[in-house]
Amino acid sequence: MTSSHSTGSPLIKDLWDVVAGVVLLGFSLLLLFYLIPNYIGQPPIVQNPMMSPRWLPTIVGWLLAVFSVLMVVQGMLVADDSEASERRFERGPWMRFALMALALVVYVGLFEMLGAIISGVLATLILFIAHPVRTLWVYLLAVAFPVSVSLLFTEVMNVPLPMLPF
Amino acid sequence: MENINEVLQLFLATENFIAIAVGVLVGVVVGSIPGLTATMAVALALPFTFSMEPVAAILLLVGIYKGGMYGGSITAILIRTPGSPASACTLLDGYPMAQQGKAKKALQMALYSSVIADFISNIALIFFAAYLAKIALNFGAPEFFWLICFSLTIIISLASGSMIKGLIAALLGILLSLVGLDSVFGSQRLTFGNYNLMDSISFIPLLIGLFAIPEIIEFYRKKIVPHIRAKASGAGVSLAEMKRSLTSIVRGSLIGVIIGAIPGTGATAAAFISYSDAKRRSPHSERFGKGEVEGVAASEAGNNGVAGATLIPLLSLGIPGDVITAIILGAFMVHGLTPGPILFQENLPLIYALFLGIMLSSVILLFVGSAAIRYFSLIADIPKSILFPIVLMFCVYGSYAVNNDTFDVWLMLAFGVMGYLFNRTGIPAAPFLIGFILGPMFEDNLRRSLLIGSNDLSIFVRGPITWFFIALTVGSILLALYRFISARHKAKQAANEPEANA
Repeated sequence: MTSSHSTGSPLIKDLWDVVAGVVLLGFSLLLLFYLIPNYIGQPPIVQNPMMSPRWLPTIVGWLLAVFSVLMVVQGMLVADDSEASERRFERGPWMRFALMALALVVYVGLFEMLGAIISGVLATLILFIAHPVRTLWVYLLAVAFPVSVSLLFTEVMNVPLPMLPF
Repeated sequence: MENINEVLQLFLATENFIAIAVGVLVGVVVGSIPGLTATMAVALALPFTFSMEPVAAILLLVGIYKGGMYGGSITAILIRTPGSPASACTLLDGYPMAQQGKAKKALQMALYSSVIADFISNIALIFFAAYLAKIALNFGAPEFFWLICFSLTIIISLASGSMIKGLIAALLGILLSLVGLDSVFGSQRLTFGNYNLMDSISFIPLLIGLFAIPEIIEFYRKKIVPHIRAKASGAGVSLAEMKRSLTSIVRGSLIGVIIGAIPGTGATAAAFISYSDAKRRSPHSERFGKGEVEGVAASEAGNNGVAGATLIPLLSLGIPGDVITAIILGAFMVHGLTPGPILFQENLPLIYALFLGIMLSSVILLFVGSAAIRYFSLIADIPKSILFPIVLMFCVYGSYAVNNDTFDVWLMLAFGVMGYLFNRTGIPAAPFLIGFILGPMFEDNLRRSLLIGSNDLSIFVRGPITWFFIALTVGSILLALYRFISARHKAKQAANEPEANA
């Protein structure tokens, strides 16, 4: 088993911080020079620039860029050595993680097509296999849970869920 | 008299009693299951409040919050796994007591001190919220603008680790809150032509994604940990022990109230301050950390003393002090209510009905907590491999319930992945959420001030209240910088010490 958190090379004390800082810096530049000019409408006359719909996003974009650079610097100089850091844990098998990701995509992706119950049953079965659950009768719960939770939402909370595909 | 009748009419609805009881029960159960948090439970319960009356809806969430605060201490005492960060202090003495066969004593002391602290905190809420709201009636847009600036700066304190990451999280939250139609000019902001985004990003999918999905992802990412079974055994708390601990409980409750009333400080700090205060004053300070019942009392009083007090800035000023109060603010908004001084003016009976319900929640906590001590093993033995698929179902249905649209479910999933990446990079989710809530309020009050002052910036320094909040804002920035520099200095010193010894 490997630890999920690495302090990186001697040049980089915290690789995660550096990577996150670079990604955020890229995002803030994209925001400032592409997204704000193209996707925020500017009214023809604005008496005060602070009233403009672009003012606050621009300020946020610049601050984000500055703090992203500081995050990169922090990642190069400071290691996250705290024993209690939640960023440190022992990874499980990758297959377990992949099955969980599959369950999430199956559930959300097929929610409207197959309905809440069938997509729920599929996702629960995948999650049970991912863990893995070894007691066979527990697999019956993969049907019982989606049915009961769906009924709770439709009958008690009046949420019109797409129940079944037919 | 008319108001009293109205308050009683609002409060005595059966739905309220059911909501409080269910809320406290769910809170205690969720809090006592390691890996599930009260924040997650409150976020998942929010969609259930859509069809409820406002008082019952808020009481359900408050009940979960309070129950979760106590529930977290059960696992801290019995299996050395705090259900919430605030319970980390309780395990210092609670777990050694459990090892000595005094688990029941520790759990009962935790419950009694939690209930007493909760009660004191509620009294403080009732007295101070109305008083503060009365003062806040004098606030105009510039005063609120600076109050929000102050709240945004103290977000830094919500970032327990790096100040830079806390600020980045808050900025990202503000940025996302700006998506949608501009409130003044009606122009589109970062909607990319998607009509689902025109009415801004839905709060509930964001909330569920941020606080529930990362827990699910992490569970399947981490190595399977063997399940630990524990039982509450031994004798209960004696009257003499209760008497001996009472001073620490009251003092801890007051510490919790003061800390809870300041946005951004939180229950964890209150628990540790209360604990160290009790240790310093105790004639048996050497017993602390080795299974001293007064230690459990002090830490639980500290963290539960916060519960009612965090609602003071929320109800009186409309400013959420932590994640859970931010979610409760969301519940108010769902029901078309905006917490703040105007709520006290226009909906006073509702506020007092809420106060009565919150007081009642302390009593219910006593009964539910006692039952939880007895049946803890039944609750804690439910494997997470069975619980998390159900949690996922609640996430999906809860997000879908907002607009009956799968777009919100995808949004929830996207925020879930973002929350997971936040966890991995150490970017805190709490400042993100507070930024998301305060962002539009910041912009709205800025623009209103400019309109009132006809674009004259001197309106921002128009009177003593604005100067007071400017001073607080500057003070909180300086304090954060001081804490940041001194923490770095200490870390450097600690790193140098082993080298010097070598």
